[in-house]
Amino acid sequence: MESIEGMKFFEFVADNLSNFFSYTAFANFELGHIVMILVGLIFLYLGIAKDYEPLLLVPIGFGMLVGNIPFVGGMQIGIYEEGSVLNILYQGVRQGWYPPLIFLGIGAMTDFSALISNPKLMLIGAAAQLGIFGAYMLATAIGFEPNEAAATAIIGGADGPTAIFLSSKLAPDLMGAIAVSAYSYMALVPVIQPPVMRLLTSRKERLIRMRPPRAVSQNEKILFPIFGLLLTCFIVPSGLPLLAMLFFGNILKESGVTKRLAETARGPLIDTITILLGLTVGASTQATTFLTYKSIMIFGLGALSFIIATAGGVLFVKFFNLFLKKDNQINPLIGNAGVSAVPDSARISQIVGQEYDKTNFLLMHAMGPNVAGVIGSAVAAGILLGFLA
Amino acid sequence: MTTFRCKPIRQVNMKHTLPYLTWTLLALLGCIAPSHAQWATALRINEVMTYNTDNAVDDFGQRNGWIEFFNTSYGTVDIGGCFITTDMNLPKMYPIPAGDVTTKMKPRQHSLFWADNHPTHGTYHVNFTLDSTRSNFVALFDVNGRTLIDSITIPPLKANESFGRMIDGDNKWGILPMTTPSSNNVILNRTAKAERFKENDPSGGGMSIVAMSVVFSALLVLFLCFKQVGKYFKASSKKKTLIAKGVSSQDTVPGHETDETGEVYAAIAMALHEYQNDIHDVEHTVLTIDRVTRNYSPWSSKLYGLRQTPGKL
Repeated sequence: MESIEGMKFFEFVADNLSNFFSYTAFANFELGHIVMILVGLIFLYLGIAKDYEPLLLVPIGFGMLVGNIPFVGGMQIGIYEEGSVLNILYQGVRQGWYPPLIFLGIGAMTDFSALISNPKLMLIGAAAQLGIFGAYMLATAIGFEPNEAAATAIIGGADGPTAIFLSSKLAPDLMGAIAVSAYSYMALVPVIQPPVMRLLTSRKERLIRMRPPRAVSQNEKILFPIFGLLLTCFIVPSGLPLLAMLFFGNILKESGVTKRLAETARGPLIDTITILLGLTVGASTQATTFLTYKSIMIFGLGALSFIIATAGGVLFVKFFNLFLKKDNQINPLIGNAGVSAVPDSARISQIVGQEYDKTNFLLMHAMGPNVAGVIGSAVAAGILLGFLA
Repeated sequence: MTTFRCKPIRQVNMKHTLPYLTWTLLALLGCIAPSHAQWATALRINEVMTYNTDNAVDDFGQRNGWIEFFNTSYGTVDIGGCFITTDMNLPKMYPIPAGDVTTKMKPRQHSLFWADNHPTHGTYHVNFTLDSTRSNFVALFDVNGRTLIDSITIPPLKANESFGRMIDGDNKWGILPMTTPSSNNVILNRTAKAERFKENDPSGGGMSIVAMSVVFSALLVLFLCFKQVGKYFKASSKKKTLIAKGVSSQDTVPGHETDETGEVYAAIAMALHEYQNDIHDVEHTVLTIDRVTRNYSPWSSKLYGLRQTPGKL
C-alpha cells in the first residue's frame, strides 16, 4: 500500500519536473537562438575588450542575450508580448519617442562652433547623405518595398536614433536588424572609412591646410539653434521630432541660463534613454524575427550605404574646391565626417590626416561637417517619412 | 443679463462712450457665446450602420446598428440636449441627455450612438433601432426640437456595411469601403504612398534626386543665413575691438587688422596657466576639510534646490 502511494508521489514529482523542464529554455531553444546569443557575445566582446562604441554595444549585446532566451509564450515576459515589462520599455522604440530624447541629449552636448565659423561645411553634411539615397536605389533594385528600402537606407546616415526612428515608422518589422546594423557600422567606422578616403584623394589633397576657425560669439551660438530649427523645419516639417529636440537641447546648452537642464539632458537623461534603447533594441532581435534573408540583405546594404556616404562627402569636397580660392580650400579628408557618426568619423579625418602631416590638425574642421551630418540625416529622415509614411 | 443705461447723446463725449461701447459689446458677445443653437449646427450625421453582425461592439458586448456624428467645427460642441429621430413628424424621439460631461464633442471629433432601443444602457443608447431591410431616415434636431441640423436617408444596407460621408463632414455620401465607427471616414492606407512610389519610381532614382535636392536646399539655406550672420558678427566684433582700443575706423591701416584665432587665445591661456601653476604649486598640497553643517534638511527645502550663487554663468 505504502509502495503504491510512494510510486504515485514519484509520478507526481516526475510529471511536475517534466512539466517544469518543458518551460525551461533548454527545452525550447533552437539553433537561431544560439546564433543570436553568439552575436550578442561578440557585441559584448567588441564593446568591452575592443572599446568599440561600448555605450551602445554593451547594452545591445546584453539585450541580445535577454531577447534570445527561449521561453514558452503566454507568460507575458517576452518583448513582443503585450503588457510585459520589456514590451512596455520597448514602446519607446516602437512608438519612436526614445530617439528624439536621445537627440535632445545630443543637442545639449554638441558644440556647433566649428560649423558656425565656417558655414560652407554644412554642404558636406548634405553631400554625405548620398549614402542614404544610393542605398535606397540599391534596395529597391533588389526587391525591397519602398518603405523598407527607405528604412534600410537610413543606415547610411550613420545615426542610430534616426535609423530607429524612421524604421519604427516605416518598417517596424525590420527595426531590430536596421538598428543593429546601424550601430555595428558606426562602431566599424575606423575600418570602413579610411580605405575609401585614401582611394579618392591624392597626396597633395591630403596635405591641404585649412584656415583656422574663427572664434564664435555666444550670440551666434544662441541664434544657431533658433535659425536652424525654423529654416530646416519649415522646409521639412516631418523632421520636426528629431530636429526640434536637437536644437532645443542645443539652446539649453548655449543660452547659458539653463545649465541644469542642459546637464540633465546630456547626462542622466541621455544615459537613461541609451540604456533603455540599447537593451530593448538588442532584446528585439529574437532569432525568430531576426534571422531572415532580409536581415542579411540589410547588413549588406548598410555597409554599402556607409561606403557611398563616405565617398559622397569626400568627392563633394574635391568638387567644391574647384570653386574655392587657393588659400581657402577644404581638405577632402574631412568629407567623410559628413556621415554623422559623431565624433568617430571626425576622429578618422584627424587620424588619416596626421598620417600624412603630423602638424595638420583636422579634428575641429571635421566637426563642422560631422554635426551638419546629424542635421542632414534628420532632414533626410524627415523627407523619407513625408514621402512614404 | 446686465443692462446698461445710456446717457443722452449730447452729454456723452468719446472718452466716456468707449468704455460703455466696449462693455456693451462684451455683454452681447457673452449672451451669444453660450448659445447652444449657434454651435450645434456644426454637427453632422457622418456614418450609419443599420445591420451589425461582425462590426463594433458596445460596452455591453452587443452588436447593434450605430449612428456616428461628427463635429465639423474647430471648437467644442455639446450634443447634449439635441434630439435624434427616425421620424420627421416626431423630432423629439430621442432626447440626448443634457448635462452629461461626455456629450461635449471636441473639435473635429466623432460621437457614436447605438441604435439598440436600450436607452437605459446610457446616454449613447437611443430608444429606437434601425431596420436593415428598408431605407432608414435619421435626423438630428437642435435643443429646441424644431431646428433641423442634419438628416439623411440611408438606403438598405448589407450586413456590416456602413453608409457615410466619403470625407468627414463633406456632402458626398456613399457606402464606405471600410467601416470607421468613431473615426475618420478616410483612413489613409499606410502603404498607399509606398505603392505609388513603387509604380511610378521603381528604380528610386526620382525619389533620390528630389530628396537629395531637399537636403541640399535645407542646408544651403542654413549656410546662406549663417554666412550673413557670421559677416555681421565679425564686423560688429571688429568695431567693438577698435572702440575698445580707442581707434576710429578711419585710423586703421589696411593689412594691419588683427583677426586673432582661437589658437592665439589658447597659447595665451596656456602661458597664463603655466605661470600661475609655477607660483601656486605649494597650495595644491594643502588638504582642507570644510565642514558644512545643515541642521535643517527637509526633502522639499528650496534652499538645496538652488545654486549657491544664482545668476548667469
